[in-house]
Amino acid sequence: MKAPRISSQTLQLLERFVERPTAWRYGYDLSRETGLKSGTLYPILMRLAKHSLLETRWVMTEEGVPPRHTYRLTPKGLELARAKLSEALAARQVRRPALSGGRA
Amino acid sequence: MRLEAHLRRAATWLLRGGIRIAPRDMSEWGRAMLGELGHVEGSWAALMWALSGAGVLAKHALVSFLIPGPRRHRVLGGELLAKEGTMRKGTLIMGAACVVAALLFFLAPAFRQAFRVSLAQWDKVLHVTTWNQQPDLEALARRAAKQRDAEGLAFVAVRLRNPSESARLAEKAVRLDPRLIWVYAIVAVRHPELDEIAGWVQKLEQWDPQNALPHFITAESIDIAHVLREDVSPRGGENDPAWRSAMAAAFQSRKLDDYLDRLRNLDRRVVPRYGFDDPYQVVDGEEQYGLPSYTAWDSSRYAKSLLESGQELEAGGDREGALKNYWTVARFGGVIGSRGGFFVGRILEDAYKRLAALCEKEGNHEQAAFFGDAAEKAGQEVVRWDREFQGRLTGPDISLWDASVVKISGLMMFVFGGLFAICALLVLAGSWTVPPGAFRAGPVSAALGVVGAVGSLVSSATLYVSYRPYAAIFKNFLLTGDTSQVAQLSNFLSHAQVPLGVRNFYELWDFVFHFWVGLTLLGVIGLLLLTLRHLRARSRASAPALT
Repeated sequence: MKAPRISSQTLQLLERFVERPTAWRYGYDLSRETGLKSGTLYPILMRLAKHSLLETRWVMTEEGVPPRHTYRLTPKGLELARAKLSEALAARQVRRPALSGGRA
Repeated sequence: MRLEAHLRRAATWLLRGGIRIAPRDMSEWGRAMLGELGHVEGSWAALMWALSGAGVLAKHALVSFLIPGPRRHRVLGGELLAKEGTMRKGTLIMGAACVVAALLFFLAPAFRQAFRVSLAQWDKVLHVTTWNQQPDLEALARRAAKQRDAEGLAFVAVRLRNPSESARLAEKAVRLDPRLIWVYAIVAVRHPELDEIAGWVQKLEQWDPQNALPHFITAESIDIAHVLREDVSPRGGENDPAWRSAMAAAFQSRKLDDYLDRLRNLDRRVVPRYGFDDPYQVVDGEEQYGLPSYTAWDSSRYAKSLLESGQELEAGGDREGALKNYWTVARFGGVIGSRGGFFVGRILEDAYKRLAALCEKEGNHEQAAFFGDAAEKAGQEVVRWDREFQGRLTGPDISLWDASVVKISGLMMFVFGGLFAICALLVLAGSWTVPPGAFRAGPVSAALGVVGAVGSLVSSATLYVSYRPYAAIFKNFLLTGDTSQVAQLSNFLSHAQVPLGVRNFYELWDFVFHFWVGLTLLGVIGLLLLTLRHLRARSRASAPALT
């Protein structure tokens, strides 16, 4: 059976989390950094949270302004993210010489 | 500034709406999106943020409605790394069962008929056939010609829109069976411009000398000749001695037989013989081929001229001549009866009144009272006929409602069927590489597939239930010749021919224009979106590699 593939959007998001693993991130900031729309970003965040790979918390930023939901990867999530990003990087490196070889 | 505030308000409203309809376990995520909204830079960007987020919430709301409980998360891609979830066996069975049940409806002849009727609204919009192309009837004519079946040929001849072909088949039918000579009259009524009519009328007059119909056909041909010569003055035909002679002969006739009874009996024999059950071709003609409308119009014109000339004779002291004219009108009014409609009814009332006045002047009180009664009855008949006609135009018409339901159900069958077919193709394409039985579907395609299957079943059932009473009327007409409800069926069929959203045939061509403009615009927008998506995908592919 074909192994399930991680989507490029999820990889993009994991990459952002891995960059600053301890920082709590806002949804809108993640959306701006990855270029993902809210309709794509939040389902990924939901799935990560459901599998206990992401922790969430509410923070009050200003008085009279609704609280904001913030996110960061759990240790398990961080481990998985690093593994998946390395896999993706390795796959890309394998493909690149093949392509450049083809052109030559 | 004001626009920005409105956009922000709309965005907040959208997300709040999404939270309200979303399942309870989604509200935290909905509030998360709402919390970020105030930080999104730019009001348009905020609106886009809200639209996209509300879309996610609505999707969860829809799926939770279809699949209650925690199983929803599996359908919506609960797996972390796979975007798709395996379709549940139950979902697959339910979808397939709905589609099979919807297809089973096609086994019922009434449903097949209903389906064809529901498609009639698109005939004019898509120009599937040109005005004189009637493929089903042409095929029937070929079969009838092969079997040398005169009745089959006559059945087609009276229904064809192509005049020359209609005349050719009528002559062929009468050659095979001379008893079908009355078919000439019906074809002549339908195509008064045919050159063959003069010869046919002579034969009809010999065969049925008491009937007024051949004379009316002659009068109409003369009228048409005047129109072709561009003599379209209101009294163009009336001043022609040939027209007056034909009308005089019609008014002297003892009966007015439109031969519809013969046609009905022929239909009842031919329809089962060829399994031809298209109500548009069989029943619609019942109304269309009845007493020609020009009969009433020509009769009222001629009757009016007789009354006017009678009045002149009366003024000149020729009471005998005046009485003869009035009586001719009154007698013919009795022959034509209620088929003459409003105009003939009014003139008949006038003729009786004049007869009554004339008798009164002569001192014949008994006859004056008789004609006075007859005038009153004729007047009442006109009022009744007028009220009935007005009621038909303005009153509640159940057939209009039924036709709308049939049209909507037919359209929905296509929409839901198409939705299901697209989802099925996506699922099949997605499962191409996995072993059989493990169908995989994205959350949206799974949900839409189920909606498509259930919708197909519901719309098929609605179509069947709404059309069934009309199928029964049609069947009853074919089996017993009962025409008591044919007018209702005919009304329903004509409403069903008008596309949805169009009130009558006058608005049809505007609708056709807007339909094609809309479709072209949608196509262009679709093409633009595809091109944009393709360009974005290309730019994403050429972006710097992941580090």
